[in-house]
Amino acid sequence: MSIKIGTGDLAKYPFLNDASDYVRETHFDFQEFNRPEMNHIIDRAAERLEREIAKGLPDEKLDKYEIEILTFLVTLIMVKSIGTEPILKKHALFEAMRAEKFLTEDLLREKSEQKKRLLLSTIFKELFKVNVDISENDNRLFKVKITDYLMRASHFHEQDWKLINRLVHKGFVYLDADETVRLIRSELSELIYNKVKSMTLSTLPEAIKTKVDELSIKFAPHHQYRRYGVRDYPPCVKHALEVMNKGENLPHSARLMLATYMLAIGKSIEEIIMLFHNAPDYNEKVTKYQIEHLAGLRGSGTKYSVPSCQKLLNQNLCFATEECNGITNPIQFGRPTMIKRQSSSSP
Amino acid sequence: MSGNKSMEKSAALLKSAFREYYFKYSKFLDIPEHLEQREFGYMPFGSGMIRHLSFRNRGDILATLIRDVPADVYCSNAYYRFPTYPMQEKQWLGADLIFDIDAKDLHLPCELSHSYFICAKCFHVSDAKSEVCNSCKSAPLNKTSIPCTKCILALKKEVKRLVAVLLDDFGIEEKSVSVYFSGNNGFHIMVSDNSFNPLNSEARSDIVSYLTGTNLKTESVGVRKGSGSPGSDFLIKFPKSGISHGWRKLIADKIGIDQASVIKLSNVVQRSGGYEGFKSELGKMAKTLGVKVDPQVTMDIHRIFRMPGTINSKSGLVKMRCNDLESFDPLNDSCLLGDKELKVNTKVSSLINFKLRGQSFRINQSNLKLPLFAAVYLICKGLVEVAI
Repeated sequence: MSIKIGTGDLAKYPFLNDASDYVRETHFDFQEFNRPEMNHIIDRAAERLEREIAKGLPDEKLDKYEIEILTFLVTLIMVKSIGTEPILKKHALFEAMRAEKFLTEDLLREKSEQKKRLLLSTIFKELFKVNVDISENDNRLFKVKITDYLMRASHFHEQDWKLINRLVHKGFVYLDADETVRLIRSELSELIYNKVKSMTLSTLPEAIKTKVDELSIKFAPHHQYRRYGVRDYPPCVKHALEVMNKGENLPHSARLMLATYMLAIGKSIEEIIMLFHNAPDYNEKVTKYQIEHLAGLRGSGTKYSVPSCQKLLNQNLCFATEECNGITNPIQFGRPTMIKRQSSSSP
Repeated sequence: MSGNKSMEKSAALLKSAFREYYFKYSKFLDIPEHLEQREFGYMPFGSGMIRHLSFRNRGDILATLIRDVPADVYCSNAYYRFPTYPMQEKQWLGADLIFDIDAKDLHLPCELSHSYFICAKCFHVSDAKSEVCNSCKSAPLNKTSIPCTKCILALKKEVKRLVAVLLDDFGIEEKSVSVYFSGNNGFHIMVSDNSFNPLNSEARSDIVSYLTGTNLKTESVGVRKGSGSPGSDFLIKFPKSGISHGWRKLIADKIGIDQASVIKLSNVVQRSGGYEGFKSELGKMAKTLGVKVDPQVTMDIHRIFRMPGTINSKSGLVKMRCNDLESFDPLNDSCLLGDKELKVNTKVSSLINFKLRGQSFRINQSNLKLPLFAAVYLICKGLVEVAI
């Protein structure tokens, strides 16, 4: 007996082609979104975006597949209509994280190996051309071809993802469910991103348009963080700010450097939180907690200092220019002592 | 003046010997797959590198070698849509996975006993290591080495270790791994497995870290940092995926544990002085057990790499495929130049001792007659010059 992707799967993974087929087969007309019974879908989509953009949290609620597929579609239409790159990137990442959660659960809890294999083949193989199989000796583990693993994990900064820290055997890397799914997060995110990018919107249903206008106003202040006198920052900090400004993901070590530097130059917690607003995974509560922790206001009370230039160099976070000559910590950048040292060493 | 003349004569001799080789032994030229997509380069005698060349077939390559007689010939491990364009415009399509194992990275105890130091300015040769030239007091001094049997054995052992990891851990088929003697003091290993070709430099760097034993975490072998006092500041928790293969097994075997040895591992960590002590010991263990490959060669996806079947101008020996590493004798099988005798003058005050093509040589005087292959070997090493 062959197992097929079911409607429950489409609710969790509405980006699958089967979900698009469903919309096509039902001859759904976009103007139907103007019907009052569709308000629930539009509100749901708007709530999802608000949760993601304003609170930095993924929406993990799961409803019937008809509702989930349409909600997914409306969020894409809304993001496209708002037309802001950081919002698109954030939504793509959160949508990927949402799918990641469901997929991990499915791989962990699903008893049927056949069903597990179907998910692996439909999502990993068909969408991203990654061959994943269930380990022969332990069905809680999955094996990924070493080259597929390297193409993805070599971008991850954590040492845990380095090949040497993995179980490697006969050309395969063995991972548990959440690690396997984490491997394709950026591709899932890219899939959503490209779906929005390739969309062409004709006339927007009035009901959606009204919601989009509301959201655009709500999100407007968050699009760009306040820029400080960036030209005075050391190049490593400037680089981190630029990455953040583009709405791209900044590694943990770079976030720590940015936050400790800003604390060291006397910025307030609130001002520093603002800097992280554009992070794709921004969550105000978590960010506040972490910055307060670094400032020594929480936990053991230890105030974290700015990492040294050597440490940043080891973490590939150093973008030293000539102006950095003679400093050992970014905090010394541009200080009079440094200028003095430079001028005294010149002939 | 006579020095210059002698150098000119030595260069002319090398050129003529190399030309004769390419004329006689074109069968050894190992033409790479995707030939027309490879970038070629060569170093003419006495001038800088010429790069961004492309050849359509074996005949084209051979014609260039016989006409121009380069000192060294290189071919990219990468293949490009437009191999002759400037680097940014070539359009990289992929690259073979390559490794370089060089005797200098093995830090063998015999190394100094057969190394010579040549002044880059006056070419004075000394057999003792020093910061500046004994003759003109300038720097730098370039090191040259005459590999001994111990070097060759150690290199072969390292190659076997690399190949074992490629086969066992990376799952590469034996037939996809080609081993070449580099033509001087090392071996080159090339993997022809298409699935590795698209890997970027970052992914290849991860492969290098795996091979060399860099950044192995204690957690990988079941030791986690705990909060106890020094000495008992650790927890034992084996990873879900186990410790039965790859590096984890290597370390487990070394310290004599398996997945069930919680108490034994705990004792090992305690004996090391706790978490930090074990971490430091693990780092040392991994470094020793790691394969000594040159990281830069593997990570560089735009490298032009010595072409198999061509002569290495550092030795006059040929970069040669080793079909059977065990029986391969680099100092015999790669030495393919003629044996017509000629007179050379030694530049070294002490005895030069070496074995080539089954003959033992002891050079300690000038105006000495040597067969061409041995004379070229020492001229390339910078230790003798043609007698005028």
